[in-house]
Amino acid sequence: MTTTLTFGPPVTSPGRAAFTALAARELRRFVLNPVFLFAVAITVYAQWVGPDAGTTEIDTINPYPAIFLGGFGMMAAYWLTRSMRVSEPVVGVTPITRPARTAALCLVALVPFACGCLTLLRFVQLIPVSSPLYGPFGPSARVAVLVGQIVIPALGGPLLGVALGRWVRFPGAAFVLFLVLYGWVSLVTILTMWHPGSAPVMVLRLFAPFAFFTDTLDSGAVTAWRGSPWFFIGWQLALCAIAVLVALLRGAESRVRTRIIRTLAITAAAAVVLLMLAVTGGFTHAVAA
Amino acid sequence: MVTASISLRDVGRTFGATRALAGVDLDLKPGVTGLLGPNGAGKTTLLRLLATALPPSQGQVRVLGLDPEVPAERTGIRRQLGYQPQEVGFPRGFTAFAFVDYIALLKEWSQPAARHAEVRRVLDLVGLSDLGSKRIRAMSGGQRRRVSLAQALLGSPPVLILDEPTTGVDPEQRVTLRTVLAELARTSIVVLSTHQTEDVAALCERVIVLDRGRVRYDGPVTDLTGQAAGRVWLADEPDPAAKVSWRTGTGRYRNIGTRVRDDVEHAEPSLEDAYLLLGGGSPEPETAEEVAS
Repeated sequence: MTTTLTFGPPVTSPGRAAFTALAARELRRFVLNPVFLFAVAITVYAQWVGPDAGTTEIDTINPYPAIFLGGFGMMAAYWLTRSMRVSEPVVGVTPITRPARTAALCLVALVPFACGCLTLLRFVQLIPVSSPLYGPFGPSARVAVLVGQIVIPALGGPLLGVALGRWVRFPGAAFVLFLVLYGWVSLVTILTMWHPGSAPVMVLRLFAPFAFFTDTLDSGAVTAWRGSPWFFIGWQLALCAIAVLVALLRGAESRVRTRIIRTLAITAAAAVVLLMLAVTGGFTHAVAA
Repeated sequence: MVTASISLRDVGRTFGATRALAGVDLDLKPGVTGLLGPNGAGKTTLLRLLATALPPSQGQVRVLGLDPEVPAERTGIRRQLGYQPQEVGFPRGFTAFAFVDYIALLKEWSQPAARHAEVRRVLDLVGLSDLGSKRIRAMSGGQRRRVSLAQALLGSPPVLILDEPTTGVDPEQRVTLRTVLAELARTSIVVLSTHQTEDVAALCERVIVLDRGRVRYDGPVTDLTGQAAGRVWLADEPDPAAKVSWRTGTGRYRNIGTRVRDDVEHAEPSLEDAYLLLGGGSPEPETAEEVAS
C-alpha cells in the first residue's frame, strides 16, 4: 500500500457538466433496476409476443404499459430516490444541491417515456388507427387516447416515484400508491360501465392519471365514453409537472423555493382548467359506433 | 499569502430546549486540530456546523472566508470540503468503488478518467485498493469506516472534517491514517473528533476540549499534557486522594490527582491523564441531536 498524496485543485467542472454526469449515472442505475427490467420484459411480452392476431378489444392490451412502465417504473424511481437517503450525511454536504440531484433523478423518466413511445408505435402496428376497434373516435382522438394511455403514464409514473421518494419515508409507499391508483381506475371504470352517460361519473373517471375512453360490448360494438382525450393528455402532463415541482421543492431554499411554489400554484391552476376542459370537451354523451 | 482559515464567533446551537453549543469562539488554521470531550459535549454538533450540515442558532461561522448561511457561498465551501460523519449508511448493492465514485460525481468530478483515478487514489490511501469491488454491506465495520473516510479525502480538500475517523479501525490502519492526515495538514485545515486521546497526542498540534457545549481548553497538546505533570503517580493500591485511579496491566494502580504530589512514584503523564484531570470523560446526558442520530 502506498500513501502518496496529490495536492492542488481537483479536476472538477461545476455546473452543467457535473449535472449531466450525475444524470447519466442515475439513468444507468434506473435502467439496471430489476423492477424496471421486469416491467420492460412484461411490456415487451404483452405488446410483441402475447397478443394474437384476433384481438377484438384495445382495452385488453393498452393498460399494460401504464401498469408496468408507469406503475413499476414509479416503484423503481421511488427506490432509486430513496436509495441514497442513508448516505445523506455525506451526500447532503456536496456541492450539488438536493434540487439538482432531484432534477437528475427526474431525467431518468425519459427512459420509460422512450419505452412508452416505442410501445405506442408497436401498438399502432398491431391495431392500426384506422381499425374499427377504436369506436366512433376520429383519427386524431384515437392517437390522443393511445398517447394518454401508453406514453404519458410511462413518463408520469417514474416522476411520481421521485416525488414520493423525496417526501415519504415509508418504504412501501410506492407500492401502496400503485395499488390505490389501480383500485381507483378500476372502480371508476366499472362505474362508467354502469352509468356511461353520467357527468359526475365521468368527472371521477377523468380525475385520475389514467383513463379508459372506450367500452367494447360482447356483440363487438364499441362505445366511446364522454370527455376529450386531447385535454386529458394536458391534464396528465400537468400532473407530471406537479410531480416534478413537488419533488424539486424538497431542499429548495430562498428564491428557488419561492419560484417553485409560484410555478406549482400556476401549474395546479392549469391542471384544474385542463381537467375541466377534458370533462367538457369531446363527446357530450356516450356514443356507440 | 492568504492562509485558509475557519472562524467561529459566539456560535451557539440548540435543539429544542437542549443547548448543544454555547458561545464558541474559535479560529482554525491549516494543521490538525483534535476535538475531545465526553459524550454529549457538542463535538458532533460543532463538526456538523463546520461541515455546513447544520446552521448555527446564534453567532457567525466563516469557512475559508465564506458564509455557510448564504446558499451560493455554502456551495463554495462544499467544493473545498471533505466530511466524514460519525455515522453514515451505505446504499444497498454499492461496492466501495461505486460509492466513492458516486460521491466524487456529487463533488463535481465529471471527467470519468480523472474521477476514477482519484477514487482509486483515495481507496489506496485508506488501504482499500484491493477491496474496491467488494460490496460495502459485506465489509467489516472498520472497512466501512475507511470507505467513508475515503470519500472525505477526495480531491485533498482544504478543509477536512472527521468525526471519529478511527473508530473500529485496526492499529496498523490508524498509523497509516495518521501519516495521511499529517501530510494533508500541511496545507489543509483538518479537524477531527475522537475519543482516542492517543490519536490526538500522535497527530494533533492543537486540541480543543469541549464540555457541555463550551470550550473547556484550547491550546497545544503539549501544554495540556504538561498540566498533568506531577499529578500522575503509580501505587500498589488505589489512592483515596486521587481523582481517578485504575489498575494497569502490571497490577499497579495509576492515580491521577488534582494536586501536585512529591511523596509518590511519579509516572510520565499522557494526554489522556491530562484530559481526565481536566474533567473530560465525565458522562453527560447526550444532546437531543445525538440521541436522534
